[in-house]
Amino acid sequence: MKTISKLLLAISFAISVTTSAFATTVTAVSWGGAYTESQKLGYGDPTAKALGINIAWVDYSGGLSEIKAQKEAGKITWDIIDVFAMDTINGCDEGLFVEFDFDKDFPPAPDGTPASKDFFTDMPSKCAVGNILYSWNYAYSTKAFPGKGPKTIKDFFNTKKFPGKRAIYKSALTNLEIALAADGIKPGKGGKKIYKALNTEKGVERAMNKIKELCANDNCVFWSAGAQPPELLVSGEVVMATGWNGRFFNAEVGEGAPIKQVWDGQGLDYEYFVQVKGGPNDANGMAKKALAMMTNTEMLAGSAKYIAYAPWRKSSIAIMEAGEPWYKDGKTNMVPQMPTAPQNTKNYFLVDPIFWADNGTELGEKWEAMKAGL
Amino acid sequence: MSSESQQILTTDGIPLEVSLKKAERRNKIKAFLLVAPLLLFLIITYVFPIGDMLMRSVDDKMVTEMLPKTFKAMEKWNGKELPEEEVFEAFYLDFRQLVDEKREGKLSTQLNYTKNGFKSIIKKLRRKSKNFEEGNYKEQIMAVHKRWADVEYWKAIKRRAPAFTGQKYLKGMDMYKNENGEIVSVEEDRRIHRILWLRTLEIAFFVTLFCFLMAYPIAHLLATLPMKYSNLLMICVLLPFWTSLLVRTASWMILLQQQGVVNDLFVGIGLVADDARPQMMYNKTGTYVAMTQILLPFMVLPLYSVMKTISPSLMRAGKSLGGTPIVAFWKVYFPLTIPGIGAGCLLCFILAIGYYITPALVGGASGTLISNQIAFHMKSTLDWSFASAMGLMLLSGVLAIYWVYNKLVGIDNIKLG
Repeated sequence: MKTISKLLLAISFAISVTTSAFATTVTAVSWGGAYTESQKLGYGDPTAKALGINIAWVDYSGGLSEIKAQKEAGKITWDIIDVFAMDTINGCDEGLFVEFDFDKDFPPAPDGTPASKDFFTDMPSKCAVGNILYSWNYAYSTKAFPGKGPKTIKDFFNTKKFPGKRAIYKSALTNLEIALAADGIKPGKGGKKIYKALNTEKGVERAMNKIKELCANDNCVFWSAGAQPPELLVSGEVVMATGWNGRFFNAEVGEGAPIKQVWDGQGLDYEYFVQVKGGPNDANGMAKKALAMMTNTEMLAGSAKYIAYAPWRKSSIAIMEAGEPWYKDGKTNMVPQMPTAPQNTKNYFLVDPIFWADNGTELGEKWEAMKAGL
Repeated sequence: MSSESQQILTTDGIPLEVSLKKAERRNKIKAFLLVAPLLLFLIITYVFPIGDMLMRSVDDKMVTEMLPKTFKAMEKWNGKELPEEEVFEAFYLDFRQLVDEKREGKLSTQLNYTKNGFKSIIKKLRRKSKNFEEGNYKEQIMAVHKRWADVEYWKAIKRRAPAFTGQKYLKGMDMYKNENGEIVSVEEDRRIHRILWLRTLEIAFFVTLFCFLMAYPIAHLLATLPMKYSNLLMICVLLPFWTSLLVRTASWMILLQQQGVVNDLFVGIGLVADDARPQMMYNKTGTYVAMTQILLPFMVLPLYSVMKTISPSLMRAGKSLGGTPIVAFWKVYFPLTIPGIGAGCLLCFILAIGYYITPALVGGASGTLISNQIAFHMKSTLDWSFASAMGLMLLSGVLAIYWVYNKLVGIDNIKLG
């Protein structure tokens, strides 16, 4: 079995080698759509040009099963992968990714601040380097609430003051956090208190009850694809929806949809790049070189031209501010749209990947059991 | 006198029996070579992967050989109170070894499957254990995190001692084997798999039923109409079959949501009030409607191909022998279509049982099925052994249905065309 798959891979490799040009091709794997587009235009193409290589963007649907299968088959074809925080932890533990010596591998900010200080928070594992920060915030339909709209995370759970259906994410991730934030545990800056509460059975129960209260009588729609929340709001199916800020931005600014984002109680979540151990450009060092360049101050700012996700480096914001209006349409200021902007981070939590790596399965089971009883 | 003299010989002097066998053998080899590519294909794409899954689902050697000293020391432990110092010491020694080999991450992943909460405390232990002093490891390990002083976590480690285990199958039924060797259920608020199994079976059953009820008249019409109409109808059946699954699901969402086309129509003709629009999406109704439409061709086609072969004169004969149309249909026509019904129902049921994109998109709170759970463990937690176990449970369920069908109807009585 193993030898056969090796043989097949060898053949496909031989074909790919003979058909591709002689320039080095680094394969970067990401989520596709507008997001990969922003990565390609923002830093992929400039990096490829500067280094004289090709960067091939491949789409995948997340998770580590493909790369694990590549490793088990003995032939790895990916160099760089765009992953969730939890996947960097699990993949690092499994030995799938290269561990970084952070300040040595990644360049400092223009003012000389070492990379580890320039990035927004610490990395969840030694294999990760930050790429963008996005937000789990919520938006409401300005048609449903033309006058006084909801302003806080408590308003999202207040069905008396703001009647109507809600859309929330299908899994427990971030839902338990906002439930506690709405139930009176103030996240403040970072949300440590929320995770402290969720580490106790009582806290989990409290969060589940808050969700049950909100979703009783079929009052919730559970969304699974990122395109759903703006769609549900625009069609009038729900009046408020949690979602990813980039998607809301596209609907609100890009398409002029009648929705408005609320940043109170937002959860900041992260995307990372990892470098595959034993990938085709691991030994020659090209994958690491490309990765270091793609995540420098200027390059990261580049991607925010195309999508409303925040660059990881604090120093990138200065470049954006100097270049406003930064959005590709040439008239929208991007800094206020960033999840990390000061006016958006008055009350927020950082999604804790270690907590979810620890408790994800068990909380997922409890969440499904709760949903089954709705 | 001897047997040799009685043997029949061929012209070149070889006994006939041997010669015949030789010719036959050559034919056998030829026949085998002809089917060999298919056989090889089946072995590589079915038998190997399923065997591999089976091995993965019971193989637990990895943890056994990661913590050899610990498991040896644990043999004397009664498994009730916290273990003695020697268990802690053995665990510490094993753990240092793993840290040196950079394998403690794998251990943390594996133990986290058995009990959630191991990931962070093993990371913490790795950091702290560098500065451990010799002796009294129990105190030192317990000081790292309060979970290390919780006996439940040590019980969880002990559960991983055997090299082969059926724990993953028990987990798929929300059960586990406790330290006394009894099989018990997990806490009530975590019993999710049983709910999912039942929900999956329920949805698959009803979707198959609805498909059958809708497809039977369609197939009958297709088989009896003149060719020029039936061809058009056939295209109507096949067109959605060729359309992407996601497109069809999304269309149903646009049609059925509360502000959707169907509801607008109902309000427009005054069937329901504007503020009392019925909920047809994000619940089971949505799942049934969308899945039935998607799987309908799989029922129509086998039924049609069987009905096409039934001669119309049989029904006429039934009627001329005195049966009313209903009796003639029930006694003559229906039994003849059973091979098609069997094929269609099996096909629909097997496809429905493994479906998960459509229910996840249109099913709302009830949209999670067992295959979503398998995908979750394949992609997110990387617990492939648990995913394999659940996959095999699903497979054996399908095989059981096949067996029941074989007993009731007979498997040679199945016809796809």
